[in-house]
Amino acid sequence: MACLSSAHLSADPHLASLLPLSHSEGCLHGLQANAPRVSETTREQRWGEPGGITAAPPATAQEVHPLSKQHHNHSAEGHPKPRKAFPVLGIDYSHVRIPFEISLWILLACLMKMGFHVMSSVSKVVPESCLLIVVGLLVGGLIKAVGEKPPILKSDIFFLFLLPPIILDAGYFLPLRQFTENLGTILIFAVVGTLWNAFFLGGLMYAVCQIGGSGLNHIGLLANLLFGSIISAVDPVAVLAVFEEIHINELLHILVFGESLLNDAVTVVLYHLFEEFANFEQVTIIDIILGFLSFFVVSLGGVFVGVIYGLIAAFTSRFTSNIRVIEPLFVFLYSYMAYLSAELFHLSGIMALIASGVVMRPYVEANISHKSHTTIKYFLKMWSSVSETLIFIFLGVSTVAGQHYWNWTFVISTLLFCLIARVLGVLVLTWFINKFRIVKLTPKDQFIIAYGGLRGAIAFSLCYLLDYEHFNMRDMFLTAIITVIFFTVFVQGMTIRPLVDLLAVKKKQETKRSINEEIHTQFLDHLLTGIEDICGHYGHHHWKDKLNRFNKKYVKKCLIAGERSKEPQLIAFYHKMEMKQAIELVESGGLGKIPSTISAVSIQNISPKTLPVDRIVPTLSKDREEEIRKILRINLQKTRQRLRSYNRHTLVADPYEEAWNQMVLRRQKMRQADRQNAYLTVPAHKIDSPTMSRARIGSDPLAYEPKPDSENLPIITIDPASPQSPESVDLPNEVPKGCGGLPPSPEEDEEGLVMRPKEPSSPGTDDVFTPGTSDSPSSQRMLRCLSDPGPRQEPEEGEPFIPKGQ
Amino acid sequence: MGSRASTLLRDEEIEEIKKETGFSHSQITRLYSRFTSLDKGENGTLSREDFQRIPELAINPLGDRIINAFFPEGEDQVNFRGFMRTLAHFRPIEDNEKSKDQNGPEPLNSRSNKLHFAFRLYDLDKDDKISRDELLQVLRMMVGVNISDEQLGSIADRTIQEADQDGDCAISFAEFVKVLEKVDVEQKMSIRFLH
Repeated sequence: MACLSSAHLSADPHLASLLPLSHSEGCLHGLQANAPRVSETTREQRWGEPGGITAAPPATAQEVHPLSKQHHNHSAEGHPKPRKAFPVLGIDYSHVRIPFEISLWILLACLMKMGFHVMSSVSKVVPESCLLIVVGLLVGGLIKAVGEKPPILKSDIFFLFLLPPIILDAGYFLPLRQFTENLGTILIFAVVGTLWNAFFLGGLMYAVCQIGGSGLNHIGLLANLLFGSIISAVDPVAVLAVFEEIHINELLHILVFGESLLNDAVTVVLYHLFEEFANFEQVTIIDIILGFLSFFVVSLGGVFVGVIYGLIAAFTSRFTSNIRVIEPLFVFLYSYMAYLSAELFHLSGIMALIASGVVMRPYVEANISHKSHTTIKYFLKMWSSVSETLIFIFLGVSTVAGQHYWNWTFVISTLLFCLIARVLGVLVLTWFINKFRIVKLTPKDQFIIAYGGLRGAIAFSLCYLLDYEHFNMRDMFLTAIITVIFFTVFVQGMTIRPLVDLLAVKKKQETKRSINEEIHTQFLDHLLTGIEDICGHYGHHHWKDKLNRFNKKYVKKCLIAGERSKEPQLIAFYHKMEMKQAIELVESGGLGKIPSTISAVSIQNISPKTLPVDRIVPTLSKDREEEIRKILRINLQKTRQRLRSYNRHTLVADPYEEAWNQMVLRRQKMRQADRQNAYLTVPAHKIDSPTMSRARIGSDPLAYEPKPDSENLPIITIDPASPQSPESVDLPNEVPKGCGGLPPSPEEDEEGLVMRPKEPSSPGTDDVFTPGTSDSPSSQRMLRCLSDPGPRQEPEEGEPFIPKGQ
Repeated sequence: MGSRASTLLRDEEIEEIKKETGFSHSQITRLYSRFTSLDKGENGTLSREDFQRIPELAINPLGDRIINAFFPEGEDQVNFRGFMRTLAHFRPIEDNEKSKDQNGPEPLNSRSNKLHFAFRLYDLDKDDKISRDELLQVLRMMVGVNISDEQLGSIADRTIQEADQDGDCAISFAEFVKVLEKVDVEQKMSIRFLH
């Protein structure tokens, strides 16, 4: 019995644990006495289970039972737990809660954006930012009504996630020419203007606080100065949001916007300075000097960090020719890292971001593919757009959610003095600046600059960051800041558009830059540089010219891959223009708009070697045609087995390229139709079938291929990331290759611009290309066979590209 | 620069230049000292070699043309008056000048005259038209040697085609002005001669 029960217990350690009472009784003897009872009860328990095991009276049999069954019962201390059915459907919200909510907010933001464009009548009067704040207020109110606590815009989220995309978008696409031309003006507004605003406002508010009654007396000078520095900064997000819609002329846009970007350094320094010292009433001269010094460190350090990251990004992009799909990611990551690194050291993150975008852009654009460029553009626009929307919505929500402390005196005087400070600042500074400007700022300009000094979410977040225990008037500050933000965004934002129209301020000219402008502008640049040199005057042009020379000689060689480093700016511009025009052409679907000169000459490449301008297309004899058909028939068999291999890392040819190629073919067809007599045996309509024309050309010994060592830029290039599409054409090149032709040399240099099929897998979609032909899948295979028999066709050279006619 | 009696600038001269070009007294004096520092031959005039001695001008693609622009037709020497007259084109347009419009002859630094100056640099044969060849020459100078003729030719053709309105395959002055109407010529073609 004893051994049995001990065996029992040893076999069922869990059982024993279930009954601590019995254990606590201590002696085994007692346990032994209990054990049989235990086993009885457990047996009963087990009988209680649905479908439970029947416990055999002999204890030994129990041992055999898997312990696991007993485990099941153990959770309920002695209570039987019913065995659940396997859950087919279950809810586990807490698991996905955070991403779910984030996605909901972003979705809300996007739907709002969509909605505003649907209700276009409202959005013509009210700028989007106002509508978004209203939406935020509503949503916040809703959440509060439901009983939940609406989320406040946390400063971390704002500074780390919402702000960088907007700034990066602005910095990457900064119109550099205007920015540098007006840099002096912008800097003066940003630095001196913001300092003036901060001190003026802070000082006056201190005076108000002293006078203002009991509630305000305890706020010290430094606290007021801190408040002044927070609220005095013009906010880039708000400025962008409002100015984007009024399409003001570029000078004013860059002045206000540049100011809003560059004042970040000042704001950072002032904020930290006053935050540190706000609790000490005394500020020594050393502190002031240190603050002054720290301004330079913050701003120049931020720029330095940005430049470093920009150069690294440019250098990286030099080698990305084999992994085109993640090129955009490099741009984003390096810029974001620049921002974070600057923030790490309390440097100005905004300036780092701008600097990195500005520095990396020319080199990265020369290195990356066209598709990556488009991707970067659209991703930046997308993120910045969503960020902006979210920021405004959250401003609204935070207004509802936050704790407010309304003090009439404080708020109203803040508002008033903000406006006064801004106007005074602009007036005085413009008077000073106009002494040095060639093109003076008119009073109209000054008004717009003053009126465009909008405050926004940065001020809010900075205030929110304040430590509650040191700054117990934080709520009052917050209320005042929100009031100012609302006022500037709503009142100034809404009225600026009619005012711009009323004052007849020059608007932005929407037309694109023509080649004429580009040439003449460069011409004038050279001219002015020369005149400056003659006068011995080392002005703007002189230094710009020096920088350009340095850039061309040393920097471009390091940072731009291959042959493009030698490309003059004019040529790059020209190619970009041609490419744009070609794409537009495809989109519009028409042929007639191309000026004849383009088609005639745009296929020329840059190589100094002379090329035959006229493409020689031999007429096919009857036998040759029969030969072709035989080859096709035979080879069709072989290629039918080839499957299209899916490769996640390369992109499939996209429909626009197909359409472009088709258009190209059509044009060439037309020209051939003019020039050629009818083929003898082939009926007329078949000449026009793309398949046949490809066949014709494929059999052509003068197969066309990208000229290997031209340092060029084919004028229209199709992105290399879609290597499988044989229809992708390298248009400008008509170098005869093949049987007697030039040996195709590896085109590493051209990687950025030239098509190369990487794998012998079957090409991309063909639907656009051969409409109406029933054998479209086979046609693409036919092309593959055409490429195969060529004497020098190595797989990496590519199939005979369909040349663009001339 | 010691004073050379023959080349000292007399006050009447300064006044005349001031009237003609609109430069201020101090600007004229300063430019005069620059003139004399360039004038190695000390004869009160500058020759082409004097200009070519300026190092940065040698590497400027348009260096030769700019130098030529200083010399009036057929001459090899330019005196200070001529020097100033050419430089006057690059004076910034001031507000008070914009107002007194049609009173006298158009000031040398008006927008139209600035553009005319630039136009003359393109138009070497002075037929009031920028032909394709002239454009090609300028392009070739600006772009360097790596680009093929065909490429440049296509750019030139495109340029002419964009600007040409009367169909003569060349750019006349009026067309030139029209093409540059969006460019802020007043700012681009002005040098801030500090006081």
